[in-house]
Amino acid sequence: MKALKAIALLGLLGATSACTEAALGNMGYESHKQDKTVDRGFDSKHLSQLQAGIWIDPQGCDHWIIDDGVEGYLSARVDKYGKPVCSGIAPPNTAVGPYKDGSNFGDPI
Amino acid sequence: MACAAIAGLSLSTAAQAQMISGVVNGERYAPTIWIDPDGCEHWVMDDGVEGYMDLKVDRQGIPTCHPVQACAVMNSDQLFATDRYTISASGRKRLTDFFAQAGATAYIIIGHTDSRASDEYNMKLSYNRANAVAKIAQSTGARIADVRGYGERMPAASNATAAGMQKNRRVEIICIK
Repeated sequence: MKALKAIALLGLLGATSACTEAALGNMGYESHKQDKTVDRGFDSKHLSQLQAGIWIDPQGCDHWIIDDGVEGYLSARVDKYGKPVCSGIAPPNTAVGPYKDGSNFGDPI
Repeated sequence: MACAAIAGLSLSTAAQAQMISGVVNGERYAPTIWIDPDGCEHWVMDDGVEGYMDLKVDRQGIPTCHPVQACAVMNSDQLFATDRYTISASGRKRLTDFFAQAGATAYIIIGHTDSRASDEYNMKLSYNRANAVAKIAQSTGARIADVRGYGERMPAASNATAAGMQKNRRVEIICIK
């Protein structure tokens, strides 16, 4: 899945404007992206701006899920004592909320 | 046996966590912080077409969570008699009113005590009190995600003063949006 996504992206990059190229370098992607704290290219922003939804794991507990175009993020939802939050907001193996709202980059996969 | 171990330790101060010294053969991966809608911090990195994220915890496994929206902390003295976990009629009304308007998806109910009596006794009392609150919550149709008792282990104030102890006798309600 990941490899397919990357190939699709690289194909797209070849066809897009100089603006994207300036951001991503002449190799079509950044070979050694130095600053890991920002998203570059199609939907530039600092990573503190990410929009999360909730994914419910097979055991019924919540995780933050973020689909940010070509990047995906997943991290545990806990209370202030560090215990997992299992809200029961939806059945196991489902995702709810605005987790695809952070990027306009098309994600057909 | 125990004496020998203590004597051995007393030769030096307590051991400290150490980093490996010398040249590191690696790439620089410095994260930034993303704060989730509950107010807790996560490490996050964007490495081109990959993204990485993990919960930020200290060495005890405790996360860094900023208070986003205080839900409710009920003073135990207004709900229970000393050493008891039966809720008074006025306490019942207060709780019913609270859960009727709180509007959260689910609730985590956590009991706490002051530091008088034994740790074991306080763990039990705080759990019983949290359970009593959770039963009322459930009767109003609220969904309970978890019920816990932390006894005297998570004080909110100093137990050295009467005012501090009163602050520590509490039932905490975490509202999950």
